[in-house]
Amino acid sequence: MEQVNQEDWLDRELREAAPYIDDEGFTARVLQQLPPPRRRHDLLRAAILLGMTLLASVLAYVVSGGGRFISVMVERLAALPALWVFVLALASGLVIAAVGAAAALSRERGLQTGLLQA
Amino acid sequence: MELTDADLVARVLVDDDQNAFGELVRRHQSAVRGLLRQLTRTDVALADDLAQQTFLRAYKNIRSFRGEARFSTWIYRIAYNCFREDARRRKELVGIDEEQLQTQHDPQVADPALRHDLMRALNLLPLNERSAVLLCCQNGLSHDEASRVLDIPLGTVKTNVLRGREKLKRMLADWGPN
Repeated sequence: MEQVNQEDWLDRELREAAPYIDDEGFTARVLQQLPPPRRRHDLLRAAILLGMTLLASVLAYVVSGGGRFISVMVERLAALPALWVFVLALASGLVIAAVGAAAALSRERGLQTGLLQA
Repeated sequence: MELTDADLVARVLVDDDQNAFGELVRRHQSAVRGLLRQLTRTDVALADDLAQQTFLRAYKNIRSFRGEARFSTWIYRIAYNCFREDARRRKELVGIDEEQLQTQHDPQVADPALRHDLMRALNLLPLNERSAVLLCCQNGLSHDEASRVLDIPLGTVKTNVLRGREKLKRMLADWGPN
């Protein structure tokens, strides 16, 4: 029992003998010595996506005969019953929400697998 | 909600987020610098240099952090390796033997402050016992974690902790509970 007490006492003293050391600029000095962050390609990615979208839009416009299909579709839509329009709007909203949620989950999973694969 | 160490590591890995790495340094600098100060026998300047090397090496090799062990265990291992490499360069990686231990300890001239005596007693331990005692008793690592940090078998860690404690108890017998 006495030995247990002595060990407890020793552990306590050892822990207390290690006081918190104030940062005092240590972290800043470490950060200054880090290599520059990797260059990110977000801007390039956005430019490619935008360019592809514009190209696809122009192609669709030309192929569809000057976008006549749009006015045709609007006329058809206007002729639909109100309930159908409501259902279509709701379905579109759900699809967009699902795509957004999938993108968010994919991003989260990317963070997790990035950690596990490291 | 405060981010965990694993969250911060993930940010460093995915986005190369140096602010996240800075937060990891802020969280662990005290423990790492404290450990290195004890290992270098309170050579503060050398310990801080080694601590900087430790964190820089951690940043460069953060992809090798597997997330199985705690981040603190991983960083202690890097710190210990930095210390060992430096000690090899300085040819100081030699433990103090029993005889030296006996002749250097004189309770009659011991400093009255217990902490001072404890630090002095720790510094008299051979490196293998000092490292094991510091990691397990002072920094709260399990024997298994200390075995990974020091890269030695679990049984050796247990033996070193036991021997180190025995020597500390002998050297600090006057301070112990009655």
